[in-house]
Amino acid sequence: MMKSSNHTRRLSTIVGILFALASLTMTSCVKQEGGGVSGVSGAGASEVAGIKKEGKLVIGFAQMENNNPWRIAETNSFREEAAKRGHEIVVSDAQGDAARQVNNVEDLVTRRVDVIMLPPREFEGLSPALKAAREAKIPVFLIDREAAGTSGEDYVAFIGSNFVQQGQRAGEWLINKTGGKANIVELQGTSGASVTRDRKQGFADAISKSPDMKIIASQTANFSRAEGQKVMETIIQARGKEITAVYAHNDEMAIGAIQALKAAGMKPGTDVLVVSVDGEKDALKAITAGEMNVTVESNPRLGPLAFDTLERFRRGEKIEPRIIIQDRLFDSSNAAQFVDEAY
Amino acid sequence: MQQATGINSTAAARGGVMSSLAAYGPTYGALAALVLLIVFNAIFTRNFATPDNLWNTLLQMTPTALVATGMTLVIATGGIDLSVGSVMAIASALAATLIAGGTGVGVAALLALAVACGCGALNGALISGFRIQPIIVTLALLIAGRGAAQVISQGGQLIPLNNPAFGYLGRGYVGPVPAQVLIMIVVAVVAVFVMRRSSFGRYVVAVGGNEAAARLAGIKTHRTKITVYAISGLLAGIAGLIETARLGASDAAKVGLNIELDAIAAVVVGGTPLTGGRATVGGTIIGALIMQIISMTFIMNDIKFSWSLVLKAAIILIAVYVQRPKVA
Repeated sequence: MMKSSNHTRRLSTIVGILFALASLTMTSCVKQEGGGVSGVSGAGASEVAGIKKEGKLVIGFAQMENNNPWRIAETNSFREEAAKRGHEIVVSDAQGDAARQVNNVEDLVTRRVDVIMLPPREFEGLSPALKAAREAKIPVFLIDREAAGTSGEDYVAFIGSNFVQQGQRAGEWLINKTGGKANIVELQGTSGASVTRDRKQGFADAISKSPDMKIIASQTANFSRAEGQKVMETIIQARGKEITAVYAHNDEMAIGAIQALKAAGMKPGTDVLVVSVDGEKDALKAITAGEMNVTVESNPRLGPLAFDTLERFRRGEKIEPRIIIQDRLFDSSNAAQFVDEAY
Repeated sequence: MQQATGINSTAAARGGVMSSLAAYGPTYGALAALVLLIVFNAIFTRNFATPDNLWNTLLQMTPTALVATGMTLVIATGGIDLSVGSVMAIASALAATLIAGGTGVGVAALLALAVACGCGALNGALISGFRIQPIIVTLALLIAGRGAAQVISQGGQLIPLNNPAFGYLGRGYVGPVPAQVLIMIVVAVVAVFVMRRSSFGRYVVAVGGNEAAARLAGIKTHRTKITVYAISGLLAGIAGLIETARLGASDAAKVGLNIELDAIAAVVVGGTPLTGGRATVGGTIIGALIMQIISMTFIMNDIKFSWSLVLKAAIILIAVYVQRPKVA
């Protein structure tokens, strides 16, 4: 197909472009926030596990992706809290790619940040990154998801929500509301993600003792509003009026399902109960409008708790391996009250 | 719509009956697979053979079918367009941002489509003018376009869009037919007609069949290529607006994600070879329908979605095997 005289020239063009692309992605990956002189504290400040006890810190925040409301709220929470406490924060974005996240953590280690806060993309696969940090004596805090390793050794602690419990609370609410009888459509998150597993597990645990709580369809919609809508439309075609409840692993899919239900002439919130997890602004609005029933909060604003834990760690206190944030439950009684503060 | 059409550069040149029949072959294979799938579902899937489900099927496949129609023309010239998903995102983010800012719906939609068309034309110009490989040029726009869409929508925030006039594009009906399905049918019919009857259609397959010969025969190959990529961009833009209207929000991070792969799969299953020189728009629509029905079969029967991916892959491989060039 290709003329051989042009071959070398084309090849070199292609290689050139690939390099340009690669370097573009790399430079855009690590963005520096705050600025100012990097943290030089008083001479002779004593150190706990490689961390300065006093003064300003440089914190590396290796975000897994930054393209949805939850992640954006989380990143902002860490930025704001760092600024409030006078620390410098370096934020990287792995764009949903576990391998890129390992690279980003290694970059942070090379930059010699003082602490790494890490929301793991996946449970497995981060061990090279954790090892690099450990060898450089940089303490790591796992944020919002867990990763393979031992606390106190590979990382200091996990700070986040209990996803199993979120699923349980959604299930328990549905049992109470329906008297233990429902035909449920479950919209799962991304296959294989620990959040998906846990929220599925917790919900299944909760309804396991109620034989009339039946999951009549359980399909993935990738945590996305558009896919939630599409998958729900198709399930409605198959099961129609049999459906009495929807349990979505996140609010985005629940909102998509609500649109599918409305388009099919069913009333979400009354004909079909809609429960989900997250507590985002659009979900609270839907609850206020009576189109959704309940959402269990999964708080993205982990910054304050993470930085409190960091302070305790600097003081040399012993840190418990799992620090769980208290998640609220939003329904028609309190949604209107919290809608403004929701992300 | 089930009318399969094929065009072959040599067939067009010679006007031979035999060679144009040969071009129909792969399309009939896809058509047979489609009929088989429909019969299977009508028997085994509850509530499959209902009018409601027909519209639902067509509704859900519209964005992929639109993008795949543009992709068919691009592939017929021997090229490929990986940037369609990102172009969808740009159109979506731009229209939503403009409408949220108070611009009229018509103006916003037209501007978004113009930009989408411009993105495609830029692809074509780079490919044709600078002789860079299509896969590289459109890969660059795939990456950059998604970024641009997220910049337009302030860092990938979801922009809610509850404008009734705009929403009609995704939720409106003309009689029993959803508005977007009507758009898809019109686009498909026009594309079939253009590829079979117009001189432009003949230029497209001639450029894909043998570019040097086409140029010597007096065909303006640059202009043809730029037009083809611009059409692909425009159709991606329309698909982006439809997805946005249907969702009632612009999700720049996710709209059109991976649609280029679905579109290429539909084109290949439909019988357009990746080597160029031939285009069967009707086959592409059948290909898109096959992929859509497979997804629905799995969801409606509550079988784990991962299996549908495996089946789709198998069908793509079989399609390519059936259509492999015969040794003369």
